[in-house]
Amino acid sequence: MSNQHSLVLENISKAFTQRGGTLARVNAVDNVSLAIDKGEFITLLGPSGCGKTTTLRLIAGFETPTTGRLLLEGKDITQQPPNKRDMAMVFQSYALFPHMSVFENIAYGLHIRKLPRTVIQQKVEGVLDLIGLQGLGNRRPNQLSGGQQQRVALARCLVMEPRVLLFDEPLSNLDAKLRVQMRSEIHSLHKRLNITSVYVTHDQVEAMAMSDRIVVMNSGHIEQIGRPKDIYRRPISRFVAGFIGRANFIDTMAEAVNDDLVTVLLLGKTLTVTMMPTAKVGDKLTAVLRPEGLELRADATLKQVVISQAMYLGSEVEYIVSTGEETLIVIDNDPRASHIFNEGETVGIDFAAETVHLLSN
Amino acid sequence: MRRIVQDPVLATALILVVLFIFLAIILPLIYTIRESASAEGLALFQRYLTESVYQRIILNTLAMGVMVATLGTLLGFIFAYVQVKVKAPFKRLLHFIALVPIISPPFALASALILLFGRNGMILRGIFGTRCFWGEGRSCNDIYGLDGLTIVLSLSLFTVAYLNLKGMMQALDPALEEAATDMGANKWHIFRTVTVPMLIPGIAGSFLLLFVEAIADLGNPLILGGDYEVLATRIYVSIIGLYDTKAAAVLSVILLLPSLTVYLVQRYWISRTSVISITGKPAGTPQQITHPFVRWSLVAIVLAVCFLIVLIYGTIFVGAFVRVIGVNNDFTLQNFDFVINGIGSEAMTDTTTLSAFATPIAGLLGMLIAFLVIRKTFPGRAALDFATMLGIAVPGTIFGIGYILAFNNPIELTLPGIGNITLLPKLTGGRAFLGGALAIVVVYIVRSVPAALRSGTALLSQIDPAIEDASISLGADNAYTFRKITLPLIRPAFLSGLIYAFARSMTTISAIVFLTTPQTKIMTAQILNEVENGRFGNAFAYCVILIGIVLVAIAILYLTVGSSSGAERTLEGGA
Ligand SMILES: Nc1ncnc2c1ncn2[C@@H]1O[C@H](COP(=O)(O)OP(=O)(O)OP(=O)(O)O)[C@@H](O)[C@H]1O
Ligand SMILES: [Mg+2]
Repeated sequence: MSNQHSLVLENISKAFTQRGGTLARVNAVDNVSLAIDKGEFITLLGPSGCGKTTTLRLIAGFETPTTGRLLLEGKDITQQPPNKRDMAMVFQSYALFPHMSVFENIAYGLHIRKLPRTVIQQKVEGVLDLIGLQGLGNRRPNQLSGGQQQRVALARCLVMEPRVLLFDEPLSNLDAKLRVQMRSEIHSLHKRLNITSVYVTHDQVEAMAMSDRIVVMNSGHIEQIGRPKDIYRRPISRFVAGFIGRANFIDTMAEAVNDDLVTVLLLGKTLTVTMMPTAKVGDKLTAVLRPEGLELRADATLKQVVISQAMYLGSEVEYIVSTGEETLIVIDNDPRASHIFNEGETVGIDFAAETVHLLSN
Repeated sequence: MRRIVQDPVLATALILVVLFIFLAIILPLIYTIRESASAEGLALFQRYLTESVYQRIILNTLAMGVMVATLGTLLGFIFAYVQVKVKAPFKRLLHFIALVPIISPPFALASALILLFGRNGMILRGIFGTRCFWGEGRSCNDIYGLDGLTIVLSLSLFTVAYLNLKGMMQALDPALEEAATDMGANKWHIFRTVTVPMLIPGIAGSFLLLFVEAIADLGNPLILGGDYEVLATRIYVSIIGLYDTKAAAVLSVILLLPSLTVYLVQRYWISRTSVISITGKPAGTPQQITHPFVRWSLVAIVLAVCFLIVLIYGTIFVGAFVRVIGVNNDFTLQNFDFVINGIGSEAMTDTTTLSAFATPIAGLLGMLIAFLVIRKTFPGRAALDFATMLGIAVPGTIFGIGYILAFNNPIELTLPGIGNITLLPKLTGGRAFLGGALAIVVVYIVRSVPAALRSGTALLSQIDPAIEDASISLGADNAYTFRKITLPLIRPAFLSGLIYAFARSMTTISAIVFLTTPQTKIMTAQILNEVENGRFGNAFAYCVILIGIVLVAIAILYLTVGSSSGAERTLEGGA
């Protein structure tokens, strides 16, 4: 465990006693281990109730783990109260202090650190500049738009220059356009300031766009950790593949195995794909095919499918097609270049071997 | 839990709060119950539950409770309905008059009613030339007894039901009634099938609250009861007349049963079945009742009640400035001289000082318990809330007895080799610590904290806990967060808690009547003394001064606690 790690979670679990009815204890977070590098932007991604917020609150210190250890730059902080941890958190609901001005909101933590007035003034002005809210220091939070409020919430944390920044779905209360804009703002701020960040979201696009690494969670445990590209291309489970982006799953079987090269029969084609860990001959496998990796062509030599739905979306065309056994989604990303098919047509389906990813069942 | 233990300030606060609630609420109750559970006490139980005299008293108490709860809730409902759904003249004035009974010094309403409608009353005798409403001799029906008590108690308590139901009616989504209208239902049908069912929790809640307050009331039955005896007066007589704590304790436990039952029903049933969907801001305005007969009947009832309130408070006011109202109506300041410069001045300063002590403590304690109960997890969280609320669910007289029993001797700890250590000095009776003032302040606090706690929890549970988390995440500890964030955010609840605490302390009688000592004189006890001796002028002067002090205190609280930051507005605006 070298000191290039900023934050380390070691076998962290958190059990809650369910209130009302049964007193069963449920593991909201289940044996989570994670090492976050200095300056890394890491995202916890997963469906509702999978334990993302709980993990974040464990890191912040609002919850104490039932078992496991938490290290900040090599120091055990498991028992440290939240206000003593050198972290700051941005909340989904902004959580600005409604009875204070923007300036007072941002200066709040600095006052607690008992910094001299002039220094506070200077720092607050600086961070207001940084987030593009110059001159709004005297406003009350309720006199700001949602986007501005979230910027103040971010500024309030940034001004503390914490070792770790924590975000709990900070953009989910904003409208779609603003969300995209704030997303890139947070991204570039991170690139500039390089503060270790843990970001919680259930929006996979957001996760892909901002993160150095994504942690996919499922009912309390970690399914997969990896760079966005790796997680998208090589999901380790059906759950991850289905959660990150859209995917077609086709049942198949290992016809031949040569080291980590596995040969399968798929949509009328025989192909050989790398698989890690590899399979044995005769193993039942699931092939993951991304909709944009599939291609429809009027070509009678290919496997024939019937188009049951065609939706023209401008930048792409989305087809639902049926092979007889399976229903597949096909996305044509460049409708200008290719022919647009109609519902009811029978066409050939094609794909490149390198877009296929195999999972063992 | 670990979180609380980790923060020494929080842990200390929690321990102190629990200790206070235990000593001030639970311990006196335990003593009362223990006293009643002695062999002698159990014999008394048997006697009281079988002898017809006592069965009568128990029935009287329950009958009074039901009557007051029914009439008071009905009045509250009509007032609220007129405010929300009926076009009526002077609505704001009527609203204001309905609020006046919040500050009703005990005995004031009853005394005024006796002077107006008693056998020698200015209206009954003076205008109608009769002594009885009907009948004469032994069958004479006068103002004394159940009917008079029902009127006075309903008048002094209906405001609670009114405010409660008004809030609910305003929060009712008018879309519901509109939907019913669209389906062709007429107004009466809507009223029966939509409006009333939606308000059932509010109606039931008000009913139970009024029931508990009514059966606990001591002041009114004492002077208006005549030979209609209730448990509270019987307890009073047992202590003041006979100093029979066993009998008083047994009667207390009997009185405690219906009060606690109602409290439990209220807590675990009513609060769970609330069907009202409060969506923040209801869309559209409530429909107005236009049917002339319905409308004018309702308005007439409201006007009549308001007239009665004005008449009663007018009598109090005028009665304070004349020699003997109705008999010798010469203007005089003698009554005020008696209170301000004479015997009464001590009571006036003592009561005000002690109330002023109790008020901030009760307000802060209420907010602190609300904070602990809503925001922190620790074992016994629900129990703390429950025990604190007992402060108002338990009739005041019972606390009076409990305090006598629990604190009439110092509580000492005998350590072998060291001797006795006094943990708690003697708080009540002769030569009590601070002349009994400490016990009285504690009772004031106990009786006021529940209201502050309720408004505190109601408001706090609407405030996003992330705001406090944010403060902690920025480096503040729990104490700093409570002072700088929580308290300012629940300022409206704090303010109403303070106002309630002061008004309640200044006007309470049942809980402190056994605790006053020659060194500590309390206005309400003095008023009782004056009324019992027929010196209504002095009593009314006391009442006017008491009302004046409460009004001034409310103004001061508004100016200091209520203003400046506009936290309320900010909260409504929502961040
Ligand atoms: N204080 C608590 N007491 C009991 N159970 C809890 C508590 N907090 C969370 N849980 C449970 O733990 C599980 C994980 O909750 P968590 O809030 O971490 O999910 P999440 O991934 O953040 O979900 P969302 O995307 O909906 O915010 C849920 O089943 C939740 O009901
Ligand atoms: Mg969450």
